[in-house]
Amino acid sequence: MPALFSEGFLLGLSTGFYCLAACLPLLAPYLLAEGKAAWKFNFAIFLQFLGGRFAAYMLFALLASLAGKAGRYALPAQLLPACMAACGLLMVFLAAARVSAGGAPCLLKKDLSPWFKRLPLALGFVTGINVCPPFAAGFIRLLEMADIPKGFAYFGGFFGATSLFIAPVLLGTPWLGRRANEIGRLTLLLAGLWYSFLGLKGLLVN
Amino acid sequence: MEPTETPTQRAPAAALFAALVFVPVLFFSSVIAGREISRLYALAWALFAGGIAYAIAATGRVSSWRRVFFSTSALAFLVHFKLGLAGKAFDPTCFKDTPYCHIAMAPYFLNYLYQQYLALMSAGWKLWGPLTLGAVWLFVTLALGRGWCSWACFYGGIDDGLAALPRRPLLRLGSWALRLRDLPAALLIFFMLVSLASMLPVFCLWFCPFKVTGTFLDAGGWQRTAQHALLYSALAALLLGPLLTKKRIFCSYLCPFAAWQAFWGRLNPFRVTLDPALCTGCVKCARACPMTAISCAPGGRPEVSAYCNLCGECLEACPGAGFKYTLFGLELPKTAGFFKDLFTAKFFYVFSALTLGAAFSSLWAPAALRDIVHWVR
Repeated sequence: MPALFSEGFLLGLSTGFYCLAACLPLLAPYLLAEGKAAWKFNFAIFLQFLGGRFAAYMLFALLASLAGKAGRYALPAQLLPACMAACGLLMVFLAAARVSAGGAPCLLKKDLSPWFKRLPLALGFVTGINVCPPFAAGFIRLLEMADIPKGFAYFGGFFGATSLFIAPVLLGTPWLGRRANEIGRLTLLLAGLWYSFLGLKGLLVN
Repeated sequence: MEPTETPTQRAPAAALFAALVFVPVLFFSSVIAGREISRLYALAWALFAGGIAYAIAATGRVSSWRRVFFSTSALAFLVHFKLGLAGKAFDPTCFKDTPYCHIAMAPYFLNYLYQQYLALMSAGWKLWGPLTLGAVWLFVTLALGRGWCSWACFYGGIDDGLAALPRRPLLRLGSWALRLRDLPAALLIFFMLVSLASMLPVFCLWFCPFKVTGTFLDAGGWQRTAQHALLYSALAALLLGPLLTKKRIFCSYLCPFAAWQAFWGRLNPFRVTLDPALCTGCVKCARACPMTAISCAPGGRPEVSAYCNLCGECLEACPGAGFKYTLFGLELPKTAGFFKDLFTAKFFYVFSALTLGAAFSSLWAPAALRDIVHWVR
């Protein structure tokens, strides 16, 4: 088991920058939009985000191991675009709902509960289910192993290593102000529309 | 220069100023354009820049004459590069004429840091390699800062020229003008992040209005339709936006490089500063600002934001002459003698902006003149 954890960890270390590049369009606008000039608050957002991402990784580890046991070695074609569309729509929702709190332009002017306005856990989860190339490499390894505890260990290591690459995002947050929040919300909206478009295109056209 | 002086009294100092601009522009224009075409075209371009310098110094009006120069430069870009490219669609040799687009620098900065990626590789890659481009950008930012967007950018010249055409706006943006003012910053961050994530030049592929004479890499019909829709939206913002609103819509709301330069432009010492004692609160400056960079601060006084690109429009619009070019908000000490008229922040800035703008435009303006001469013949 430790050997598999190390193997996943090394995969994460060697490909972590790809994970960072894939996660940044989701995490950075969210931190920009919701972060405050208080490091602890931003760290709490980051931990929730990581928690959501960890849950997604473990879910995929479970699914991959089960699929491997069942002898199915391919993901459903619609899964990836569906994940991307879900991710994009959640981002649009978060941006539009949160934007309504200020005087900034918005599409949805609804006074939502703060619980629904801040959902880094869900954002982390949809980030986790968006399969990037290093994740796909790990996924294939899990299909091959077809063992649930080993799968958890492997993806646990992978998660730990890739999180090291994402953590420096926090460094820029202590200087966030109200204007940066507004810019972050607009960015979150744009990125959400982008992923929604790509996901829906994948679902409807391909 | 003293506002009481007539243009005739200003003539000697204006002539000196024109010569100070003409000489370096002639040098750079000859070096850049003279490699492939007759140096006479470079001379003509330098004379034009010198003439603009003379007009600014003689009349004291910066923005009006700046616009003549800026729009001419942008038109020359369209004539030489874009019309030339339209005749060479799908011809690989067109890469030879491709200059490096400065706008592509900002949205792909993270890609560059990661893999030394340049979105648009022209045949002039030896000239426009990452290090030379970075050094040129740093120099331009230190010398000109945000002034790049009102003196040198070929997109800006089109937007600025068109914004000056209508007598009054047909469409008023109202409070949305300021509410959406940070959209370029959001677009810049968005393009930087998704370009890094997808390892693709997302702005160039999806949004560049000048891509109308280019080709699309993506074969998929659906995606290409969406790219066309965004491209024509950006083109409409560039062409129709200023005609309808008298504002530089593309530059103010869509250009990622404008946001980039607004951020880094703080390194540059030149500022447009308001003297509160001369302000009556009429806010004519805010209405005149084509970049929506002036807002009303509490108390009714105008406030110049970081998006100001020092075009000088507010200097001409203010009835009380309350706006000035300054160095970090300070004026230079007054001097005596023949040079006293030129020893001001305003003329240091105009010299810097006009010389750099004209030198940069030498990449296409003399060649555009050559093209026109060939067409006429």
